Amino acid sequence: MQLDNNSFAAALSIAACSLLSGNAQAQTPEVTEPGWQFESAVMYYGETDRVQALEGIFSAKKSFEDQKLLNLKLTVDTLTGASANGAIAQSEVQTFTRPSGNGYYQISSGETPLDDTFRDTRVQFNGQWTQPLSRLYTVSGGIHLSNEYDYLSLGVNASIARDFNNRNTTLSTGFSLSNDTITPEGGIPLALADMPNYSQGKFEQDGWGSEATNAQYLATRSRDSDDKTTIDFLFGITQVINKNLITQLNYSYSQVDGYMTDPFKVTSIVDSEGITRRNIYESRPDSRQKNSVFAQAKYSLGESVVDISYRYLWDDWQVKSNTIDFRYWLPFDYGGYIEPHVRYYEQEAADFYKPLQLESDQIPEFVSSDYRIGDMTATTLGVKYGHPNNDGTEWAVRAEWYHQTSNDVGVALPGLLTADDVYSDVDAVILQFSYKF
Amino acid sequence: MKVKPLIFIFVLISTLSGCSSLGVQPWERGTLAKQEMSLNASPLDSSLDDHIYFSKEASSGGKGFAGGGCGCN
Amino acid sequence: MDFNLEVLKGGGWKCCFSAMASPCEVIFDSTDQELVNKLSHDLVTETKRIETKFSRYLPNSVVTQINQAAGEPINIDDETSKLLQFANQCFELSNGLFDITSGVLRKVWHFDGGDRIPSNKDIEKLMALIGWSKAQLYGDNLCLPKGMEIDLGGIGKEYAVDRVVQLLRQGQSGPALVNFGGDLATTSSRHNGKHWSVGIDLKGLGENVTRVIEFSQGAITTSGDANRYLLKDGIRYSHILNPKTGWPVQNAARSITVAAPTCIEAGIVSTIAMLQGKAAEEFLKTSGFQHWIFR
Repeated sequence: MQLDNNSFAAALSIAACSLLSGNAQAQTPEVTEPGWQFESAVMYYGETDRVQALEGIFSAKKSFEDQKLLNLKLTVDTLTGASANGAIAQSEVQTFTRPSGNGYYQISSGETPLDDTFRDTRVQFNGQWTQPLSRLYTVSGGIHLSNEYDYLSLGVNASIARDFNNRNTTLSTGFSLSNDTITPEGGIPLALADMPNYSQGKFEQDGWGSEATNAQYLATRSRDSDDKTTIDFLFGITQVINKNLITQLNYSYSQVDGYMTDPFKVTSIVDSEGITRRNIYESRPDSRQKNSVFAQAKYSLGESVVDISYRYLWDDWQVKSNTIDFRYWLPFDYGGYIEPHVRYYEQEAADFYKPLQLESDQIPEFVSSDYRIGDMTATTLGVKYGHPNNDGTEWAVRAEWYHQTSNDVGVALPGLLTADDVYSDVDAVILQFSYKF
Repeated sequence: MKVKPLIFIFVLISTLSGCSSLGVQPWERGTLAKQEMSLNASPLDSSLDDHIYFSKEASSGGKGFAGGGCGCN
Repeated sequence: MDFNLEVLKGGGWKCCFSAMASPCEVIFDSTDQELVNKLSHDLVTETKRIETKFSRYLPNSVVTQINQAAGEPINIDDETSKLLQFANQCFELSNGLFDITSGVLRKVWHFDGGDRIPSNKDIEKLMALIGWSKAQLYGDNLCLPKGMEIDLGGIGKEYAVDRVVQLLRQGQSGPALVNFGGDLATTSSRHNGKHWSVGIDLKGLGENVTRVIEFSQGAITTSGDANRYLLKDGIRYSHILNPKTGWPVQNAARSITVAAPTCIEAGIVSTIAMLQGKAAEEFLKTSGFQHWIFR
């Protein structure tokens, strides 16, 4: 006898009712899939006297039948303020041409030269779809698009994961491909070209916009835009060790080809007295191969959770770096939590990094004075507090302090130059408010 | 400055992974299934941090894709 | 009495204990500690009573007496009779797929992740001892052919959950969620329109993903072949055995979660769906019960 299914449910209901003596007051089950889940965050990032950024993220997640998951994310950020242009401090006032060629900016004596031209708004969109492929396989694919005034980045990614060993071990592999185009206002400077007449007051003499200054500026420009392509491969293993410990180990390889020079950065050419004779636009190789190994462990101590991760990164620019990150998640009885965070980062400079170039030496093919590829140590200290609301929503605040120290790479400093003229520290605060609903 | 990989951390991880009886039964996943035990428990924080460090340091990626992204550096 | 009471973040109490080889918990959406303590005591007593009465491992249980009757008719009490009536209904509704006499197959099938596959001959021998239709149940009288055994493992825990829910309702517990090793039921909706959030453990792409479903009333159970299986010559044998063939069900789902008015209904539907193998989706879809299937 094959019952049709309505009568199957009805017959089962009658059987259950008689088993449970009739007073079961059986309730129709009410189960709902959570609808869209939203998460938003606003972050302020501010460096003392330098860059300030405001970034907002809005993320929407929805799960569908059969464990399919869609995640959409919109990011908007705006950047203002100044950023080191790579030149060294001098005892005289220094004048620099703006990257666009429309004007100049001056730096007082003894100050690290900062370019205050930066003002940009960026909009980024990410979409990611994840779903099981078969019993043990999960696949995921996504796109990203980021656009700002002078920069466009487009990318795709895909990965696949397989569970083993009662789903205690997961192996995953994936790739991401992206293409970034930079179109700086005024065009791309010629690598190693002299920044036009920064020190001779010629702009004032000839007047802005004059044919002579224009011609001089245009002589340093090569093309309107350039691009680079990045391909990343990632291999990961996640292992559940026991009820309280989960670990992850990743290896990633990244190949970048194309324009990686920063068109806004210069290197000071310095004479034996330590006086800057001129500044040249920096030049970086057009290929970079990065490798990194990342390990993470998360351990539950009953209520609280320890999260520790480590990354070692090395590349063919001879950059090497260590990153150690530690977080301790500590809940309170009422459901709130506090999470202190410490991060330590150290990096060894790229082989073409030079804080300055001696006039007497031959200028190498590649040179950059961008402190971000120099020797550096950075520390982050922070704390986050999260609070659940009665309606199931949750807010959190986070405050962090970030400190970067540029380390001496051992370049001889001519004349009266001191390490302070060449290397400087950066202090920043990060404030964030998040809301989940 | 010479930066050397901190081998001992890997030794630690591989020692842990070398245990004979790794893993748990499905009904022992209670703790692991908690949100705070997820390897990326606060994805928005991570993406904001990644953006900061991507634009301020010479390293990126590792946990996920390094990717391209922005002209912020 | 052996249970732990914990105060919960955000108010409420959780009663934890161990029974029926599972971690058991009951969450009370109540601040009345005295009441919670009294009800916890009662519900643990009731759960242990059911466990002791129907466990096939305990020498004095009713199930053991039935299994040792060696073909003689025996008298059974009203509760046992009702449970067997229910099992009988399920046997008929599932066309014999749900069969409380199929437990003897465990004598030859050892689902320990190893590769010991029984011979056809061994299975044939046991098949003679399987088939609820050979049992005779008349009211408070049961006669089970000699050598046959019953096992109420497939409904006992769900039954206990429903009994506890009843007991809590009678005791005016207010909203409570009963969870015996993944078999869940509620006494009523929570205060202020809040939901009970229930996580179904899913994993993907190296992340520990818990799929959360929101649950305001009714019952939810999950059947799965989790990690009890045999592996031989690259073939994975699920521990879900088909009582009609004596062999594991092919293409059984990894796990099936079903929502129903009572725990015992949800449990039966998810178990029968597992037994359907490849046809589980079709069965669930037409059965009309809300479900989540994971392959």
